Amino acid sequence: MSKNIDLQQEGIQVKKSACYFCHQNCGVLAYVKDGKVLDIEGDPDFPTNQGGLCCRGNIAMDHLDHPARVNFPLKRVGERGAGQWQEISWDQALTEIAEKLANIRDEFGAEAVATAGGTQRTDDWARRRFMNLFGSPNGFHNSHLCWIPTFMVETAIYGWCPFDLDLGSSRCLVLWGQNPGVSGMPEIHHIMELKEKGLKLIVIDPRYSETAAKADMWLPIRPGSDLALALAWLHVIIYEGLFDPEFTDEWCVGFGELAEHVADFSPEWAAPLTWLTEEQIRESAIMYASNKPGNIQWGTSIDQIGKPAGAAMHARALLRAITGNLDVPGSDLLTGPSLEYVTDEEMEANDQLPEEQKAKQIGSDKFKMVTWPGYSRIAELTKEVWGKAPTAEWMCEAHPPSVFRAILTEKPYPVKALLVSATNPINSYGETKLTLAALKAVEFMVTCEYWLTPTAMLSDYVLPIAGALERPTITSSYGCADFLLASQRAIQPMYERRNDYNFWRDLGVKLGQKEMWPWETVEDAYFAKIEPLGYGVESYDEFVENHRFHFPEREYQKYKRIGFATPSRKVELYSSTLEALGYPPLPPYIGPAENETDDPEIAAEYPFVLTTGGGHMPYHHSEHFQIKTLRFLSHEPYMSMNPAAAAKLSIEEGDWVWIETKRGRIKQKANLTQAIDPRVIFTPRGWWYPERDMRDPELGGCLESNTNILTSCDDDDCDPMSGSWANRGLLCKVYKVTAENEKEAK
Amino acid sequence: MARYAMVMDTRRCVGCHSCTVACRVHNELPLDMIYNPVVTVGPTGVFPNVRMTNLPLICMHCDNSPCVDACPTGASQQRPDGIVFVEEKKCISCKACVMACPYGARVPNHEKGTIQKCNFCMDRVDEGKLPHCVKTCHQKARIFGDMDDPTSEVYKLVNNGYPVRLLGELNTEPYVFYIVDSEVKL
Repeated sequence: MSKNIDLQQEGIQVKKSACYFCHQNCGVLAYVKDGKVLDIEGDPDFPTNQGGLCCRGNIAMDHLDHPARVNFPLKRVGERGAGQWQEISWDQALTEIAEKLANIRDEFGAEAVATAGGTQRTDDWARRRFMNLFGSPNGFHNSHLCWIPTFMVETAIYGWCPFDLDLGSSRCLVLWGQNPGVSGMPEIHHIMELKEKGLKLIVIDPRYSETAAKADMWLPIRPGSDLALALAWLHVIIYEGLFDPEFTDEWCVGFGELAEHVADFSPEWAAPLTWLTEEQIRESAIMYASNKPGNIQWGTSIDQIGKPAGAAMHARALLRAITGNLDVPGSDLLTGPSLEYVTDEEMEANDQLPEEQKAKQIGSDKFKMVTWPGYSRIAELTKEVWGKAPTAEWMCEAHPPSVFRAILTEKPYPVKALLVSATNPINSYGETKLTLAALKAVEFMVTCEYWLTPTAMLSDYVLPIAGALERPTITSSYGCADFLLASQRAIQPMYERRNDYNFWRDLGVKLGQKEMWPWETVEDAYFAKIEPLGYGVESYDEFVENHRFHFPEREYQKYKRIGFATPSRKVELYSSTLEALGYPPLPPYIGPAENETDDPEIAAEYPFVLTTGGGHMPYHHSEHFQIKTLRFLSHEPYMSMNPAAAAKLSIEEGDWVWIETKRGRIKQKANLTQAIDPRVIFTPRGWWYPERDMRDPELGGCLESNTNILTSCDDDDCDPMSGSWANRGLLCKVYKVTAENEKEAK
Repeated sequence: MARYAMVMDTRRCVGCHSCTVACRVHNELPLDMIYNPVVTVGPTGVFPNVRMTNLPLICMHCDNSPCVDACPTGASQQRPDGIVFVEEKKCISCKACVMACPYGARVPNHEKGTIQKCNFCMDRVDEGKLPHCVKTCHQKARIFGDMDDPTSEVYKLVNNGYPVRLLGELNTEPYVFYIVDSEVKL
């Protein structure tokens, strides 16, 4: 941290650690002496970040021993949310939690215990293992918003998700609602390098983002209208003869049906829906289809548009297929699962969860794609063809809003306990009022955290979790890649902090699962995962120190050897898997979750189109508001609107404004910018104020500027396939905050 | 003899502020001090015909450095390799250099009662390492090196490209150069 620390001094060890402040997991070198970290820097030998670190990576030392960190197990002694805690031992905490969970299981069944997660900051195969052994199918994350529905829809079409880009020889890259300029620094670095060598870059984004500013073509799409654009691209590529006839003939089924299906989805049709011109739609489709090989980079934007999300993922997936941009050099690669190391799915013990418990998974009757019905079917196919299945944690989960409703209504059955790990659902899950009501109503809540977040404040127990430098990390794209990157802990956890792995394992041991947890430490478990790789190492740390990565030799066009993991062993443009689950086998057009055509009465009152949830430096989701070295960069929440729209409402730069949807309103400051259409409003995600009173009802101002007050989890606004809820393409209004309207209850 | 310089490739910079944070953390600056802010110019124009450029700022380590000339105590100095720095024990915080610097590169440290500035992380440079802001930049938008070495990247960029100096008309001869898209006007 200090320029005054002598890193040449005797006794310093250099540990190969990883940043954990987003899931890029950039390589970090930690200088350690006598069990203390003296300094960190980006690891120049790490293939992704190559020595670089973003704002967040640079504050690792601040994060490690920040005065607001939770360092000891806390047990609530006052009312829920009163902020009165007693420090207790891990053993006492786990004993009491285990006893409570066992009682709930006896009285209400194992399914009455649910668990909520956030983004991938944890070893969630261990969470799944615990839940499977305990007997509950009700684990979930907000992964519905984060690539998981995309993964499953794409896997239904061509047997795996092509998230691994072979960018080196690519000629055209499409970033679909993705902004690596703030959310994936190693990615934007490689993209810009290749762009200097001639790569064409298309950015689809309602905002002129950091990344859009670097694009060859920027498509400022109406938020939530991605499906119309994807369908029109399909139309152009098919009817202008830009598809790959050899690939579609030999390796696809349903091309004729698709061609007929998209006959009417012309650029003329899509232009008014997307707010793009016919020329923009046609030219961009031609740019992608004629600069081969090309890529559509993985991303999470379409996961967040709610109702049309599944169909949009489906349509976008078809673009790769009809252009032949699948698993050939320079295209999007279907790695399949690793057959060389033990995958996350193999660590999850999914066979231990009885079928009758799987059937009770909340939401699986309505949303089949990322729950047991869809996952079982897809896992069966991938096992037949690839030999292994995708990770069940993430890809097969209860539907979070439905679990929150079950807590409140006891339908379809009571949910009495919620184990929260690495998430602050009040700020990160949709429709905050629903989420908050559920968190207050649930009988028993345990939170594993770094900080006393608004959610942690409402818990019965808060357990201190080891952070980036205190834990080892294996990075393998949610356990679905064929490669892995391995990092070690720089130091043992400080104070009484523990790895999340040890929460699940040690709780499992208390509940009689001991013989199912042979690995005492997370390193033991990681060693079991990597041992089959055959590097001849004696420990996980030895693997990190001497090898660190495993990249298998790349094999292109694996489908020629094994086929695609679909029932026909081909790319199913017309998807039999979706059809069997009761979904349309070709993507129908569905309008944005709220829009002026389908909902004219809403549009009359709420004239703007809202987009939310985009990443913004220096934060990650709802994290890091405590870190002053970051907070100074963005001290207050700023929404974006166009100056022309603001002028009509007498809103000036920096004014506090209300942004309101049918579900409620929030307060943010106005940033007037030409980066956005006069009809669109953008609100950044995550905001709460750790410097405020953290006790209920203030809870760190978690309702004041929190975008998720505006988002919708109504079943009708959710994607019928995956249940992902609507963050984008909603309707809102904006007006100035005044002394009078601030008092009105909303 | 070396002559250190930095080239800012604004075509690569995405305005992530990593350089600003890395500098603050490693140089242990108080919260109200920044040596190297990144200023976003734009978006200019009218939606959707807009442009945006990010401009990483820093001490320009000028050859004709007005801050050194203005300093009454000799605290502000320039090394033979071009690095301009402040010898803190000689600084009386009179702020003459703050007034003299046209780039706003000099910042009062209210905790120490001195004026401070970027010194290209000269302790690191002397050990053969890169300044923190350069090391941390994912985008390789900041390029550091020796202008007297014709094989260095900075030499090549400055001599083969079309880099500009900020406020070049003042003849301070900055040794920080900017590569900008031809359409951008600074």
